[in-house]
Amino acid sequence: GLRFASTTASPQTKTEVDTSENEIVSPNFTNRNPRNLEQMALARKERGWKTTWPKREFWHRLRLERTQHYVEAFVERSNGDVVVSASTREWAIKRHLYSPKGVAACKNLGRVMAQRCLEAGINFVNFKAIIPWEHRCDSIQEFEKAMEDGGVVLYEPRRIFR
Amino acid sequence: MAAPLLSAALRGARAGRSFGTAAVLWKRAAPLGPMPNEDVDVGNLEALERYRSFTRYFRQAERESREPHWWNTYRKHSKPPAEPPRDIGLPCERPSRAKEIKERRRILRENRRNAEMERAARLRTALIPLDDVRAEWERTSGPFHKQRVAEHCGVFRDLFKGATFTPWVALRVQYSQEDEYLVPVYYGNMVTPSEASSPPTVSYEADKGSLWTLLLTNPDGHLRDADSEYLHWLVTNIPGSDIKAGKEMCHYLPPFPARGTGYHRFIFLLFKQHGPIDFSQDTRPTPCYSLKMRTFSTFDFYRKHEDAMTPAGLAFFQCQWDSSVTSTFHQLLNMREPVFEFVRPPAFHPPQVKFPRHQPLRYLDRYRDTEEPTYGIY
Repeated sequence: GLRFASTTASPQTKTEVDTSENEIVSPNFTNRNPRNLEQMALARKERGWKTTWPKREFWHRLRLERTQHYVEAFVERSNGDVVVSASTREWAIKRHLYSPKGVAACKNLGRVMAQRCLEAGINFVNFKAIIPWEHRCDSIQEFEKAMEDGGVVLYEPRRIFR
Repeated sequence: MAAPLLSAALRGARAGRSFGTAAVLWKRAAPLGPMPNEDVDVGNLEALERYRSFTRYFRQAERESREPHWWNTYRKHSKPPAEPPRDIGLPCERPSRAKEIKERRRILRENRRNAEMERAARLRTALIPLDDVRAEWERTSGPFHKQRVAEHCGVFRDLFKGATFTPWVALRVQYSQEDEYLVPVYYGNMVTPSEASSPPTVSYEADKGSLWTLLLTNPDGHLRDADSEYLHWLVTNIPGSDIKAGKEMCHYLPPFPARGTGYHRFIFLLFKQHGPIDFSQDTRPTPCYSLKMRTFSTFDFYRKHEDAMTPAGLAFFQCQWDSSVTSTFHQLLNMREPVFEFVRPPAFHPPQVKFPRHQPLRYLDRYRDTEEPTYGIY
């Protein structure tokens, strides 16, 4: 009689003990994810550096470097750490291109870079660090169009102050 | 000369506070390194090479700002030099470099002789196959790029306390939806909890006879302790790449990031085992919906089995609250859903001064305990 009662009661008490302690939650929650605040548009942007160019008021910046021999694109943080990069010096891209410099290379680099940015979860990027008279040239226009078509927005949302 | 000093001393004595005249004695010494532009011969400026364009100057300036200097810079102040991290991953297996270079040079020469490629590049219609590029990238520079992104998302800092590894094995994780839709998990992309409600299909290249361990952990979601993680899935002793044949130590629990807490990282770790390992200490009962049992620390888990396995693959996604999380809390975890709110850190104000200089009237509002402003909107 008693044993029978105990065998039916034990599985029930186990599940009760299992989930009854779930309710105890600490009132303060800390999220260690370094990308959390910037994805919620609450992180601080470096607002100084107003007398120099380019300014550092961004979370992620897209920088395009064109040299005589290759083209490189970097997405970096304001402290200089590179997060995602693509370059025509990499074998994966170089083997499919006729030349690692020029408008066609910039366009294809834009497509590859857009794919890598979306894979890394970077959807908004600041693209202000280009010299104004260079911004109008064909290769940079093609690169920008390729990034936009790839799905990356080249405008960072304003930080939420209140 | 004596009068101002005397009046100042009297003023100090009358106010009850003394003023100090002590100053730090600066010692003149030689600079600790070469001064900038020391090598420029100022006498013969005509012979110097000019920049002739702003781009050349700008690139040189950026390169120069990134170099380490002997004087104190903002870069040194904001990011102090850290010790090189310990590498706990598999050793790098590169094929013979000479043959690879020869092969690559041959392909490049063929490209340059190809007239169609030249025409496509000239008319700007050339479009490279992105899938092939991605496949080649996964084999060559993919692991380094993934390690860099993981470093920025704080994966190594939170899971392994700073020790890094290069994920040589490409881990392909995909969540399948109802209408044949596939949501892939790369290194940091966004997946919603409703998309991640059932276990994903995991595939990777593995030799026959090798044993692997797959682990899904959430280092951000712990509701009681900020330093520990929640274990969502643990499958051990997987032969080859067949997840179903492995022993499931902890069954899959869908992600449950609480509302208001923002984005949580969910990290898939693939460990390569050197031989069959006994994970009896890490077994969780089926079904396990107790958060206490699911509390986990990857560092301790890896420390226990350090000699028998090495981390080889990495994939992670970011996840935010969604309405399916409410049903996870109510049905599976059998608890009320916690809702949090973002609390801003208090604004910093320097210590209050009796006679502030060049401050507006709202200076007093900053130090008052109650919320009433001094007047109007000022």
